[in-house]
Amino acid sequence: MINEIPLVLFLWAGACLFAIGFSMLILKRNAIFVLMGIELMLNAANLNLIAFSRQDTANQGLLLGIFVLVVGVCEMAVALALVIQAYRQFQHIDLGRFKSRN
Amino acid sequence: MTPLMLSFLALVGITCGSALVMLWTKNILHAALAMFMTMLGLAGLYVLAYVDVMAVSHLMIYVGGVLILILFGIMLTNQNSRGDKDQNNLVTEESSRVWPVLIGLAIFAGLVFILSRGNFGGVEIADPNSKLSFVGISLLTEYAMPFELVGIYLLIALIGSTYIAKHHD
Repeated sequence: MINEIPLVLFLWAGACLFAIGFSMLILKRNAIFVLMGIELMLNAANLNLIAFSRQDTANQGLLLGIFVLVVGVCEMAVALALVIQAYRQFQHIDLGRFKSRN
Repeated sequence: MTPLMLSFLALVGITCGSALVMLWTKNILHAALAMFMTMLGLAGLYVLAYVDVMAVSHLMIYVGGVLILILFGIMLTNQNSRGDKDQNNLVTEESSRVWPVLIGLAIFAGLVFILSRGNFGGVEIADPNSKLSFVGISLLTEYAMPFELVGIYLLIALIGSTYIAKHHD
């Protein structure tokens, strides 16, 4: 059975998500917002993997996508722990206000 | 316009529209809600790509895990410095909007240009059968080593984040 949705439409949706995620990464100054942007970019990459996996008899993209999911969860857990620790230190998580201690 | 195409367009609309809401809003709770809608739309896209396993695990992990984690993060770093205190008015700072949106548009246009010109070849062999047993067998035979490694990685990340987040007096 032939899927009626062409591959390039999935890739365009992934490109849209990636661009929005990157814009969030450089637009927002709240650290949790920036993490959400990173999650969007990761999911855009995952959507591309899944879309290419439709053309593969071995479905390697699907399996790599599952591993990407796990890595994304690990990244989120560690990053939120870091954000909470930074909030404890500085009483804010505004990325524009952090100064390096020389 | 087949029903499959119509549902694809509706799901892309939900996904990208909610992502744009995340980009536009300054209220971080609204952004978390929009992220929920984005993840729902992405799971629908996975269903349309005939990978039901990925759709279900994506919903479980992102809506059930990551989003709850983000909500805990928002609550634990609530600053109450701006806006009314009796509303959920968690307004955050942001830089100037012009340059990030322009850069995002440029990335989107460039990616669409490149992807439209690319000739990926290959034939669509998408089979609408469930991939569940395939994924299970593959993870325990051909991909057993990466599976164990990713389990150890998850354990290290969880222990490390617990240690980082505790009080260091």
